[in-house]
Amino acid sequence: MTDSSLNISIKDVTKTYGDFYALKDVSLEVLSGEFLTLLGPSGSGKTTLLMVLAGFTSPDYGSVRFGGEEVVLKPPHLRGIGMVFQNYALFPHMNVAENVGYPQKLRGVSKEETRKSVENALATVKLHGLGHRRVDELSGGQKQRVALARAIVFQPKILLMDEPLSALDKKLREEMQIELRQLHDSLNMTTVYVTHDQKEALTMSDRIAVINDGRLMQLGTPNEIYRRPENAFTADFIGESSLLPAKVKNGIATIGSKKLKGAQKLKEDGDFMLVVRPEKLFIANKKARDANHFEGLVEDSIFQGESQLMVIKLDPENYGERSLRLRIPNGSTSLGKLPDINEKIILGLKITDSYFVEAANGRD
Amino acid sequence: MGGTKLNSNQAELAQLARREHFTFFGLTLPYLVLVGAMIIAPIGWLFFLSFIGRDGSFSIENYERMINSKAYIRIFLTTFKISILTTFFCALLGYPLAYFMSQISRKWANICMIGVLIPFWTSLLVRTYAWLVLLQKKGLVNTIAVDLGLLSEPIKFVHNTSGTLIGMVHIMLPFLILPLYANMRAIDPHCVKAASSLGATSIRAFWTVFFPLSMPGLLAGLLIVFVLCLGFYVTPAVLGGGKVIMAAMKISSNIELYFSWGAASALGVVLLAVTMLILFIASKLVSLDQFGQRS
Amino acid sequence: MKSFCMVKKVAVAAFLLGFASFSTASFADETLRIVSWGGAYQKGQSVGIFQPAAEAMGITVKEDTYGGISDVKLMVKSGADKFDIFSSGAGGCASGGAEGILEKLDYSVIDVSNHLPGMYSDYCAGADIFSVVAAWNTETYGDNGPRSWADFFDVEKFPGTRAMRAKVDSQLEAALLADGVAKEDIYKVLDSEEGIDRALDKIRSIKPHIAVWWTSGAQHAQLMKDGEVDMTTGWNGRFDVAKLDGAKVAYDWKTGIMDWEGYGIPKGVKNKDLAMKYIAEMMKPEYMAEFAKYITYGPTNKLVYELNLMEEARARQMPSHPDNAKHQMTLRTDWYAKWRTIAAEKYTEMMTE
Ligand SMILES: Nc1ncnc2c1ncn2[C@@H]1O[C@H](COP(=O)(O)OP(=O)(O)OP(=O)(O)O)[C@@H](O)[C@H]1O
Ligand SMILES: [Mg+2]
Repeated sequence: MTDSSLNISIKDVTKTYGDFYALKDVSLEVLSGEFLTLLGPSGSGKTTLLMVLAGFTSPDYGSVRFGGEEVVLKPPHLRGIGMVFQNYALFPHMNVAENVGYPQKLRGVSKEETRKSVENALATVKLHGLGHRRVDELSGGQKQRVALARAIVFQPKILLMDEPLSALDKKLREEMQIELRQLHDSLNMTTVYVTHDQKEALTMSDRIAVINDGRLMQLGTPNEIYRRPENAFTADFIGESSLLPAKVKNGIATIGSKKLKGAQKLKEDGDFMLVVRPEKLFIANKKARDANHFEGLVEDSIFQGESQLMVIKLDPENYGERSLRLRIPNGSTSLGKLPDINEKIILGLKITDSYFVEAANGRD
Repeated sequence: MGGTKLNSNQAELAQLARREHFTFFGLTLPYLVLVGAMIIAPIGWLFFLSFIGRDGSFSIENYERMINSKAYIRIFLTTFKISILTTFFCALLGYPLAYFMSQISRKWANICMIGVLIPFWTSLLVRTYAWLVLLQKKGLVNTIAVDLGLLSEPIKFVHNTSGTLIGMVHIMLPFLILPLYANMRAIDPHCVKAASSLGATSIRAFWTVFFPLSMPGLLAGLLIVFVLCLGFYVTPAVLGGGKVIMAAMKISSNIELYFSWGAASALGVVLLAVTMLILFIASKLVSLDQFGQRS
Repeated sequence: MKSFCMVKKVAVAAFLLGFASFSTASFADETLRIVSWGGAYQKGQSVGIFQPAAEAMGITVKEDTYGGISDVKLMVKSGADKFDIFSSGAGGCASGGAEGILEKLDYSVIDVSNHLPGMYSDYCAGADIFSVVAAWNTETYGDNGPRSWADFFDVEKFPGTRAMRAKVDSQLEAALLADGVAKEDIYKVLDSEEGIDRALDKIRSIKPHIAVWWTSGAQHAQLMKDGEVDMTTGWNGRFDVAKLDGAKVAYDWKTGIMDWEGYGIPKGVKNKDLAMKYIAEMMKPEYMAEFAKYITYGPTNKLVYELNLMEEARARQMPSHPDNAKHQMTLRTDWYAKWRTIAAEKYTEMMTE
């Protein structure tokens, strides 16, 4: 699997615009054949990092290696990467086949071979027989596929994609997510994929690099990122979560006057946050040893189709003015009846699901 | 039952479409008539007049004269030569300038655009005479160059073809740059990036992607410049020093010479016909459609 | 530009004066429109002739510029009504008359009894006499410039750049004079295509030395002033004005080809009778003498000399002064009426070769 693809090694990459840091000391290994997603909010530096990889933006300092070879000074056309732009960037003066055949033409591939590879690439993206079409006669999804076909037709070892699905509607986007992933598996390329859609990232990626304010916040598998966020930003950004501020002293965490037990060992003293995922909370009929408990009033209850979302206002004496969100799957039989608004309830959170992250400055 | 319902609906919809069609024509008709009257009528009149001889009767003498006299053929050749050369030099100077403007920030591009347009604010006559003052034998350029020892003898810039070209290119350049720049600004910069990511050197990316995409603007500019050049009068008259006689000049002198519209109209008709022919051939050579739309 | 402002000011002044003399003048409420060539020439006409004559008659005269006899034709043919009188070269009037677009002048109203011979025609009342001469740059040649047309066409004796007119008028005469034809025989020789070709061939022989083909008097004056060419054909008055402006230019009357300018009336103007009377007024010698102060174009009315209306020194600068006139030949408008189109087309052909 790995003989035709390359690993990417990014080290200490920093890019400034004036005194603004678009990227700050980003170091990151992308394994060969891996599908890695850069995930972060708008303006976090995802595109900038991708452009550094593609060679369109040169960093202030830092190193980029493809398969051990330093490429940071190499111009884009010598990097041998396939790239899909956010707006597709198809050539409007060429038809579909000419667009897809463009990289082959540049490489001096014979006409016959080009025709074959174009056909193959179009078949791969399920666009057989559309070669003669003009670009402006295609739907958004078709354009996206053509852009993809053009990026893979010369079998690059690295494929970069910048939010390729953002212009598509939800249903098509979800279909394409699966297709892209399957394509990646069959073509065996190292793929760096940019999105700000966490669901997309969680669905498609081998690993996710969470980026914020030009910094790499966390690198891990979707599972790790989701379950074991390493900082308040990741915890907040990935999935739904409520964060409760906690103090740790001598390895013991407290919220207000209440002690909390956690899944991990807390070695350092200081301010932390308890990450509470709504679907991990449950209504506790009686207190148990293997869980933390929170008392509160039902403030709001919202029907959301497959689940019911409830907002629980915590007892202000113990927790201050805070609330938690609780998600209960609808149709679950274990519960006779949903609590009413203003009903007093006790919430439980298993200790194995109680995860602390360091409190970020200014974040709550 | 359902079928008939659908059919009747179809008829209604077709009627609606027809009505829309008629409304469209009804609304545009006055303009079509106006434009037709303003464009077709004068040309038709011109055509008619060109067949009126000196004595006021129907005659082809105005065309005969053109065939028999070498001067007319030479004047047409000069007209097209000067127009083509002007268009060529406008493209040569204008394309890089428009390209440069399209690549810098909008703020600086706007400042450049003011520079390009400044000549528009002065009259054509003033600009033409300014070139004369600058470039004639004892003009500013020659005097300075000779004084500095750069030239042993003044160069003949004006009162010839080169003077005419300098003046005309100067006047026509904005007409080329405006549509070209607008076109280049609209080109998606990602397209060029995409080309280089796919393996094209920047030169290759320029020629295979940027240049073809700028073609509609370039062709529009070339066409405007070429057609406007065909009718030039003042600049060749002043800067050509009588060495460059273009069709418009002969048209004017023919009115004086023959005291009739006919002699001048025939020149106009032939000029129009040859221009149409050239544009037709050009459009066959460069398929305009190929560059038609962009997504 | 300046001169035109001047013209306007004078016109306004005259307009007001016209009102002032309302009660005494017989044509007080009448207005005439006259067109001429603009520039130094029309300035002289306006101040020296047009406005004083209008004042004397108690009428209002409005001035404008025009583009020559073809404008008259366009006006008459299209039925427009733009001006009543135009100032034109004798040749222009002659061809206009032949085209039937001009009113015949009534010489019982217009007194030409004191005109120099030939200086009026059926359609044109002569007002001033000018000459086409060969002018040279005194910086290049000093006093020893081309004092004859033979010199002008001799590129070995007088190396240097030349300018000639882009129109045929008086250029063929010059060429034949250079080719050794006597003054008296010029139009005899020119009265055939061969003769015309002979003149054109003479011009062809120096064509590489012709740097500019000029199209207006202002242009050839400027060419000499700027030193753009070393010698040129052109109108004597323009050179004299340029000389006052500091141009290094001189000419010899021996190269002079005399021609004259006058006034005509387009066919069908409403104010024909008044126009006729106004032309009669303008023929008076005092106006011509006044006009000649502004530009060296001499009077057609010999009373100007006989009554000593001009200072001797000024009179000597006029093309029509007997001492100057005796060296010169006179242009014949009947030849132009007959041969103009043929000669003009051949001339253009020669230019474009
Ligand atoms: N050429 C530039 N000059 C100045 N600032 C820039 C430039 N390019 C990017 N930036 C800034 O760098 C930051 C990161 O931009 P980038 O395009 O990488 O964001 P992104 O993560 O791709 O966001 P999005 O999801 O909205 O595309 C942004 O704040 C942006 O304004
Ligand atoms: Mg982006």
